[in-house]
Amino acid sequence: MTRRLIISLVGLLVVVFGSLAGNLVAGNEPALGLDLQGGISVTQEPVGEYDSVSLDLAVERIRDRVDSLGVAEPEIIRQGDAIVVNLPGVDNQDEALRLVQVTGAVLLRPVLLAQPISPIDTSSTTIADGASTTVTGDPSTTTTAGGSSTTAPVTTLAVSTTAPGGPSRQLPQVATSIPTDGSTTIPSATDSTLPTSSTNAPSATDGPTGSDDTSPTPPAEMGDPADPTATIIVQNTDGSEIYQLGPSFATGEVFNNDATADIISGGWGVRVTLKNGAAGSDLWNIGAAQCYAKSTTCPTGRMAIVLDGVVQSAPSVNQPSFSGGVDITGNFKESEAKDLARVLKSGALPVRLEVQAVQIVSPTLGDDSLNAAIVSGLIGVLLVLLFMLLYYRLLALIVVFGITLSGLVQWNVISLLSSTNGLALSLAGIAGIIVSIGVTVDSYVVFFEKLKDELKTGRTLKNSAERGFKSAWRTILAADIVSLIGAFTLWYLTVGSVRGFAFFLGLSTLCDIVIAWFFTRPTMLMIARTKRFQRGRLFGIDNTVNATGGAA
Amino acid sequence: MSNELVSSRRGILGRLYHGETSFDFVGKRKIGFSISIVLILLTLGSLFTRGLNLGIDFEGGVAWQVPSSDTMDEDAARSVLEDNGVATENAKVQTLTSGTTTSIRIQVGDQTSEVRAEVQTDLATMAKVDVNDVSVNSVSSSWGRAITEKAIRALIAFMVLVGIYIAWRFEWRMAIAAILAMLHDVLISVGIYSIIGFEVTPATVVAFLTILGFSLYDTIVVFDKVKDNIEKFGPSRTSMADITNVSMNQVLMRSLNTSLAAVLPVLSLLVLGSGVFGAIALREFAIALLVGLITGSYSSIYIASPLLSIFKQRESRYKNLKGAHATGAELAHMVISGGAAGAKSVRRQTADSEDSATVPHSSPSSTALLTHPPRPRKKRRR
Repeated sequence: MTRRLIISLVGLLVVVFGSLAGNLVAGNEPALGLDLQGGISVTQEPVGEYDSVSLDLAVERIRDRVDSLGVAEPEIIRQGDAIVVNLPGVDNQDEALRLVQVTGAVLLRPVLLAQPISPIDTSSTTIADGASTTVTGDPSTTTTAGGSSTTAPVTTLAVSTTAPGGPSRQLPQVATSIPTDGSTTIPSATDSTLPTSSTNAPSATDGPTGSDDTSPTPPAEMGDPADPTATIIVQNTDGSEIYQLGPSFATGEVFNNDATADIISGGWGVRVTLKNGAAGSDLWNIGAAQCYAKSTTCPTGRMAIVLDGVVQSAPSVNQPSFSGGVDITGNFKESEAKDLARVLKSGALPVRLEVQAVQIVSPTLGDDSLNAAIVSGLIGVLLVLLFMLLYYRLLALIVVFGITLSGLVQWNVISLLSSTNGLALSLAGIAGIIVSIGVTVDSYVVFFEKLKDELKTGRTLKNSAERGFKSAWRTILAADIVSLIGAFTLWYLTVGSVRGFAFFLGLSTLCDIVIAWFFTRPTMLMIARTKRFQRGRLFGIDNTVNATGGAA
Repeated sequence: MSNELVSSRRGILGRLYHGETSFDFVGKRKIGFSISIVLILLTLGSLFTRGLNLGIDFEGGVAWQVPSSDTMDEDAARSVLEDNGVATENAKVQTLTSGTTTSIRIQVGDQTSEVRAEVQTDLATMAKVDVNDVSVNSVSSSWGRAITEKAIRALIAFMVLVGIYIAWRFEWRMAIAAILAMLHDVLISVGIYSIIGFEVTPATVVAFLTILGFSLYDTIVVFDKVKDNIEKFGPSRTSMADITNVSMNQVLMRSLNTSLAAVLPVLSLLVLGSGVFGAIALREFAIALLVGLITGSYSSIYIASPLLSIFKQRESRYKNLKGAHATGAELAHMVISGGAAGAKSVRRQTADSEDSATVPHSSPSSTALLTHPPRPRKKRRR
């Protein structure tokens, strides 16, 4: 029995200090929420009709864009349908605010000009790995596909310059890679469908940027990618190709919400059906006809599928008109086809995110709160311990060790979760921990009071400790489970600071249970067996009670 | 029997310390109930007339906080608002002083993001600080409503789940009594916020929820004792009022200790954290916690347990024992020995005649009803 107690005590100590050492070696420490270190928190919620696929996609796009900000620990969480983006310690507030606001709208734009990005060499290597994408009609009409323009390379050249990110970052780079004279710098070997001269492109645009054929519009004057009527310059998803795109003729809403990745004529492709009528196939066919005919509005014959300023795919159009469905084929990998299908799906029912709450905390304000919380929290703990010491005398030492251990366990868990799951300690969380000190101390009070009761009935200390713990454990468990139910309900059903608080309340309650069983129980039971401690005085228990033991 | 269980010379604190009080909680229940009913009526009255002072997180709106300086004071803040076409009638502008710095907090209704950004920039210019030093908190009113709804839904779910748990772990009467006491706490805490006009923020809600948990925790510890005692007194035809009283007195010290242990850190947060260091977020939190802790401690003693005793008395096994309950010396004896009162005759003589809290113990014969009497101690000892 004693051996088991020692094992559980030593086991706990090994686990606690082992993980403490592990955390220290790994350099893990609790991450601070932005209310403690300053930063921006933006809460967005979808409005209107949307489906959960598009919401997931929106979260991913926000994550991609936020990553380009270079914030140390961005936190992007879905709480129910709401998307919370926490950017602690962010410098540029304006850019951060703009980046997290994704539109979710898919625009279909004609490609005026396409050029692979390759800083070193373009002409010879471009085609080598060129995955081509083509648009063909629905299966029944596939035969009409064909023509000279079937292969429009979407190059997969390794590009060292950029990763996809916020459009604002891309624009300067676009400026360097778009030639001042399109006709000479577009490698003719790249793509047979490119116009031989760039004159077609600018003159065809209705964009705000004139039609000077020798100098394609400088990027600075290019339109906002979010503006469907503007002529824009954007890249594709892997940054391998850059496009000048005309005003969009339709949105992703011409499609039904049914895009699937499928094997189409031997390779991965995407199949999607068109909505009927004016808002669907009619609109699509207007654009398709223009591209098929390579009219001035769509000289390359390719149609770009653009999501939030990034070209997802720019297939060539192989038929003038479509009925029912559209197949997009090419040298897709399975994952690429699935990604594209998801984009089309979300574009068909775009999620409109509305900013619901913005919280900008200045670094100094956060710092003040942190210091205040820590200092007053520590003093609060000291006061409690002092009170325990006065009341329970030596027994209070167990409370001191117990609370220290419980604190270490919490520090370990929070540090670990901070580095793995992006958990951040907020002010509400700290407050939750401070409050939980009361609960932790209460476990000891319950136990000690039961111990006193048992001693009073005349039992020996050893006996009383065992019986006292047994009944106290029942009470502690019952009460802690109520706390856990509360913490879980709150965590599950609420958002924001209440949620953070609930997590830390639950954590500290669990700690309480663990410490009571693995520390308090073995320690007390072993102390109670030691002869030295048999006199109750040391514990603030009336020793006259003990003396009656034999008589009762 | 020479050295009896108690020494009658102990003062009230001493008896409290040793768990030997004999307060007649059940007998005084009407006082507690009346106080609570008055408080609840006041709460309802205030809620209907004054309502709650909800923060922007629930109603929607924008709040800026800017470090104050020579060029930045409350008037300057108002002028910035006016320059940007924000109505200042309903704007709340206040100066917050913390340990090292003072800052101005400006709070208005829902604004567009452009206005929000412009005011932020202008405030920074006016205060001659970097624009990133201005804190902004903006919440749309629809989001605020959603937050409120979610909190209320969480609260209801919490009560249902906890009710089920207590009913399963203890019994349904205890579940009802505990949840009624909890509702009582919520109502009175809300009432205090409404009457004084404190602003309700998410921190406040968090704090209230904590307190609910805490008050419930307290109640459960008492009920656990009641359950223990019901088993212990089971064969001795002791009335429910007696059992409740005994249990209450036995756990009284624990309740006080726990409340004190919980109040100390909160007081530290309030006095040090928000008073000396000036962290506003902490103040909101600490006030709510304090209010809740007080009502919580009060309700588990004066509401939950007497309610339970009333409910239990309807049970057939206690129905016939409704009459007088033990007070004074007799109660004290039951508290200490953990057993039934010595003799019925004692009750007749002493009940109702003496001050229950201070009566000296009359050393009745020890009839300790142990569930399992201790073995005689072995002789061999040093």
